[in-house]
Amino acid sequence: MAEIVLETKGLTKYYGAGIALDHLDVRIPRGCICGFLGRNGAGKTTAIKLMLGLLEPTAGSAHLLGCDSTALPPAVRQRIGYVTEGHRLFRWMTIARLEKFQQAFFPKQWDGKFFADMIEYFELSKKQKIKHLSNGQRAQVSLALALAPNPELLIMDDPTLGLDAAIRRQFLEGMIELITRQGRTVLFSSHILADVERVADRVVVIDKGVLRADCSLEEFRTSVRKVVLHFDNSVPADVELEGLLHCRRSERQLELTLVGVDDAEVAAWADRAGTERFDFVEMNLEDQFIEFTSPPHRKRLFQWEEARS
Amino acid sequence: MRFLALLRKELRESLPWLLLAGLLLLAVGIFFLRAHAQVSEADGWQYHRGLSPGQTIDKHRLLQNPNLNLPAIWLAFIAPGLGLVLGVRQFWVPLFTRTWSFLLHRAAARLTILGAKLTATIIAFCISVGLVWTGLYWYACRPDLFPIPEAPQMLVNGWIYIALGLLVYLGTALSALSTARWYTSRIFGLAFAMLVVFVTLAQWRPVSIAALTVLAFVTLLSQTMAVFVRREF
Repeated sequence: MAEIVLETKGLTKYYGAGIALDHLDVRIPRGCICGFLGRNGAGKTTAIKLMLGLLEPTAGSAHLLGCDSTALPPAVRQRIGYVTEGHRLFRWMTIARLEKFQQAFFPKQWDGKFFADMIEYFELSKKQKIKHLSNGQRAQVSLALALAPNPELLIMDDPTLGLDAAIRRQFLEGMIELITRQGRTVLFSSHILADVERVADRVVVIDKGVLRADCSLEEFRTSVRKVVLHFDNSVPADVELEGLLHCRRSERQLELTLVGVDDAEVAAWADRAGTERFDFVEMNLEDQFIEFTSPPHRKRLFQWEEARS
Repeated sequence: MRFLALLRKELRESLPWLLLAGLLLLAVGIFFLRAHAQVSEADGWQYHRGLSPGQTIDKHRLLQNPNLNLPAIWLAFIAPGLGLVLGVRQFWVPLFTRTWSFLLHRAAARLTILGAKLTATIIAFCISVGLVWTGLYWYACRPDLFPIPEAPQMLVNGWIYIALGLLVYLGTALSALSTARWYTSRIFGLAFAMLVVFVTLAQWRPVSIAALTVLAFVTLLSQTMAVFVRREF
């Protein structure tokens, strides 16, 4: 079994009376590219800050590269790259000065040629000041700074937020550059599911601070499914299927979103319910994620509009 | 190497403020010293060419009104002002620019980061107001320019004001790092520093001043260290 480089056990964080993270248990093996997914306010940034020791857990613990996150020594931090949310860097510095600053913390690991190549690839100049860079360019500098020390574990908090498609593509290619180096582990949170689908091989999904999934991307993709059942007569009142996430009805049609239900179970239930036929609907990761994290009885927008009128 | 990188960063960020404080004190010092020299000349002291035969100097009046008296009063405001600005710049502004996360993930212990900030501030005080004050004292001691050299006590007084500036810096840092509301315990750090400044300025027994300043410095420093190490960012 692969070595676990990041592990949380019952990681919990309260802000006052409100809970931001509720007993998060995650294990990320070495060499894994893990997409950390959740809606806005799900607790992704809180979880990442707890993992990096920037926040103190209310309960539970997080271990990175075998060290407790609340007491990460500098030698361990050297092995962990971190791209902050919003790519907050020192605005008065030039890229060259920022490189020098960053290099001082990685005297042996710093790969100056790699950094220069990345800056050139992103069509930036080392003389440029951070305050004169666009959001996308700052993201690129952040990534280059995080990758140049060749970290064993790279943690990125929504690194592609606010970037246009072209810059995102470049950013991901930069990330893939790290991935190609053997034994590197990446954890990145993102709202852009296409990005996750492109690079991740594992997903962790949290919703309202609660872990909903920690599995391989493939497993997630095959687990969350949508099936449409067609009826000659009226649709049955009850759907007794374990793993049912959502059920939408129309006059002669039933649309079910299921998790962890195999074909045979669906077929057996469909037979019992007297359906004419049923079809599995192709879902992309974004659809799956939205279905997976949406509350089951959420009103549709048009229903809300009707209620208002 | 890490400490030096942090120190360079902090010094560079403090540079505009230390230049401003140093130049302000220099301008004020030169203005008042020149004014004092003109007053002295008007009173009949031919200090440029030495004393005339038979001329007397009212030493008592000179000692009561030393050349650096007015610049010292300015320094008593400039040094705490610089402390306040540097405290805000180093500890409060990063909360708004959200650069704490980036800084704190550097491969350096939190105390090293705090140590670099404090060292940069001490250097900033020494090379701006400290150096200028010492220069002004040296200038005011020139016998060819002033009839009676400045008393060494005035040099010490200036450095006491500079130490008070450091206290205000630590008080500001403590208040900025606090997560409480401003109208509750958050203001305590700055309020304590200001209280010490006023108490120190109100009395002039050197032993008391030294004891009070050292005690306040140790209290504020230990509190700032404790808060910085465990604070969430």
